[in-house]
Amino acid sequence: MSLLEVRRLTKSFGGLKAVAGVDFRLDKGEIVGLIGPNGAGKTTLFNLISGYLTPDAGEIYFRGVSLIRQKPHEVCHLGVARTFQIVQPFPNLTTFENVMVGALNRASSFEEGRALALEILKSMKLFEKRQVLAKNLTISDRKRLEMARALATQPDLLLLDEVMAGLNPSEVEEMIRLIQRIRKQGVTLLIIEHVLKAIMSLSDRIVVLHHGEKIADGSPEIVSRDTGVIEAYLGDLLLS
Amino acid sequence: MRTLLLQALVSGLLMGGVYSLMAVGLTLIFGVMKVVNFAHGDMMMLGMAVSYWLFTLAGIDPYLSIPVSIFLLFSLGFLIQRVLINPILHAPEHMQILMTLGVSLVLVNSALLFWGPNVRSVTTRYSLQTLWIGEIVLDLPRLVAFLFALLFTFLLHVLLRKTELGKAIRASADNPEAALLMGIEVHRIYPISFGIGAACVGAAGSLIIPFYDFTPHVGLPFTIVAFTIIIFGGMGSLLGALIGGLLVGVAESVGAILLSSALKSVVSITLLVLVLLFKPKGLFGK
Amino acid sequence: MGYLLTGLGSVVLIALPLFVGSYFVTILISILYYAYLSGCWNILGGYAGQLSLGHAAFFGIGAYTSSLLFMKWQISPWLSMWVGALLAMCFGLFMGSLSFRFGLRGFYFVLVTWAFAELLRLITLSLDVLGGPTGIFISYKTSPWQFQFSSKVPYYYIILGLVALELFISYKIEGSKLGFYLKAIRENELAAEGSGVPTTRYKLMAVVISAFLTALGGTFYAQYLRYMDPETTMGVSLSVEIMIRAMVGGSGTLIGPFVGSFILTPLSELSRTYFTKGGLEGLPLIIYGSVLILIVLFLPQGVGTWMMEKLAGYRNKS
Repeated sequence: MSLLEVRRLTKSFGGLKAVAGVDFRLDKGEIVGLIGPNGAGKTTLFNLISGYLTPDAGEIYFRGVSLIRQKPHEVCHLGVARTFQIVQPFPNLTTFENVMVGALNRASSFEEGRALALEILKSMKLFEKRQVLAKNLTISDRKRLEMARALATQPDLLLLDEVMAGLNPSEVEEMIRLIQRIRKQGVTLLIIEHVLKAIMSLSDRIVVLHHGEKIADGSPEIVSRDTGVIEAYLGDLLLS
Repeated sequence: MRTLLLQALVSGLLMGGVYSLMAVGLTLIFGVMKVVNFAHGDMMMLGMAVSYWLFTLAGIDPYLSIPVSIFLLFSLGFLIQRVLINPILHAPEHMQILMTLGVSLVLVNSALLFWGPNVRSVTTRYSLQTLWIGEIVLDLPRLVAFLFALLFTFLLHVLLRKTELGKAIRASADNPEAALLMGIEVHRIYPISFGIGAACVGAAGSLIIPFYDFTPHVGLPFTIVAFTIIIFGGMGSLLGALIGGLLVGVAESVGAILLSSALKSVVSITLLVLVLLFKPKGLFGK
Repeated sequence: MGYLLTGLGSVVLIALPLFVGSYFVTILISILYYAYLSGCWNILGGYAGQLSLGHAAFFGIGAYTSSLLFMKWQISPWLSMWVGALLAMCFGLFMGSLSFRFGLRGFYFVLVTWAFAELLRLITLSLDVLGGPTGIFISYKTSPWQFQFSSKVPYYYIILGLVALELFISYKIEGSKLGFYLKAIRENELAAEGSGVPTTRYKLMAVVISAFLTALGGTFYAQYLRYMDPETTMGVSLSVEIMIRAMVGGSGTLIGPFVGSFILTPLSELSRTYFTKGGLEGLPLIIYGSVLILIVLFLPQGVGTWMMEKLAGYRNKS
């Protein structure tokens, strides 16, 4: 059984189909990249999976359990965590407190949660900044904080939304290594990314969305040579 | 009974016109700057005061003093925004509430300090005149207030739709960042909007002094009514403020007949709760 | 350092009535009573960030319930105050479920809390069985069993105890999952949901605790003044007074409401006594309003928080 199975997923806003009949699956341990031109429906897909939006049609199964009509916190309990395209920290809470909120998701006691939070802070190199208020962190620290908080919820599936945006090349390298470490710890990853070089080298498989539809699904080598994909991106480049 | 209800309807509409003017003023403040202006009704109280003193000391008819109260309240609103509100535009909501609460306390109690707590009223030649339409009686001053209020609302509508200033205000309300990029000096627009909002409410004060008694504390119920109305009508909608004002005026009037004078707000508050729960954008909101 | 101050402060507060006259005890009771109510509000409005302008409703339910049960059936307020608290809790649950279910937050939530409290006040006003506009007078029995005392001092210790209770509960909340979750909701409700926080459930918890405790304060008030009417006990001005003390002192902190009450309450109490006669009516509240304005402009984090920051600064330097 796949870890995540999405079938014929559809969501419209007004008359616009943001996600149109998307099918794909994720197996445990995979890193799958989700790419596509702007407006392709990637973040909408994330919102549908994580429970922030209800689909108009289709199914989402996580470990065999339907995620449709589940609230975001229920989806999180089930084992799916996510980050946001624009970071959403708890601004007036410290770095530690931010991660602690995530840790309390699965921790069976407050103390256990605290231990987990501190551990994650250390592994994400945020331990020295644990008393700093989130609003006073740099943008790259805030991105790492968001990942730390998501990891603290002890997910089986982690949805990352453009975590590399705005990072310089060495930070991108660090992020790649971090993501690989996370996979080694047993977390499956679905990653939206625009930094194509990074996502191509990181992913086992790539899924491409365009105008809400899936236009490619395969290994990075195959997808990067797919004419439909190239056209979609070129078209986007020409328009912008 | 039917005549009673009809009478209530008409009286409610007339008062509603004034409520609309107040709500329109609040739309310019809350709709544009998202500031919860607790001092709204108190600015109306000052408008009443201006007309009261001009009448008592100089014999000037309240309707003629409207330009004065408009000018004075515009200036006050402009200053308040510039000095007190601008610094906290991006502060958390509760800070804004605290600030306008403070302003309200200062305004009300300054009035109390200078003029005492006594109830004051203005009686002009026409204060007690009435008009009969069939079995329905209309108080002349209330009718005049209603008509003036509608006129001002219309003028404001023209201002917002047809003038450069109005377009700048609307742009600043919709999307301050975009407005800035388009060259609109948003930080100049805000005090002007606040000033216009205050001017509306000052005019409303002048309009009602012929039939409504003045005390320093008269403002709070009107502040509450104004907020109720803009929720009904939808934030940022002038038409909503207008219709909402009339609706609330009628609801109160009918409520007073059906329940009792003390309970007249039950109807409008219940409607407010229902609107908040089921249609928080209001009847005409965007 | 904090413990030292707290200990010192507690000793002073406990010993105070032995050294000061009845007038000061009265003022202190006022300060503590508002500090208590503000602290209860703080659980919902400060920690959870759900500003309520309707806390007077919970207060009034507490006051009226215990008083009516006392006047009609001679039930001791020591017992009936828990009934009042439970009723307030139910009212809070009702209002909260409705509001949160429909996603009301921020300014809209403020309005709806005000609306519910106002409706309650109007209903109480119109029902003669609840005393109507004239309110309820509690007959003077001076029996401790009936929560009445002839001297102010026992009341002082009771309210001091309530303040201690509220501070203890808030302290416990701060260091618990509840506290972390409430603060997360306040800071970013969307992100909290995505991090596994059942936001509606926890907001309701905050309402329930806040309402319960506030109502106890209502019973205290009823037994202290032995008079209540809808305007003073359920009116919006009480809700405002409760709210601003927490905000001025620093909402969402342990000592904020306490500090806020120590600043604002003496202002309004003392000046009411000294200024109403000399034709300077209104002056105290002008000062009061100006204080609010100045705090927002210069100490938006709240006076209490500012004090803590200063103390932390001194500690770091030494």
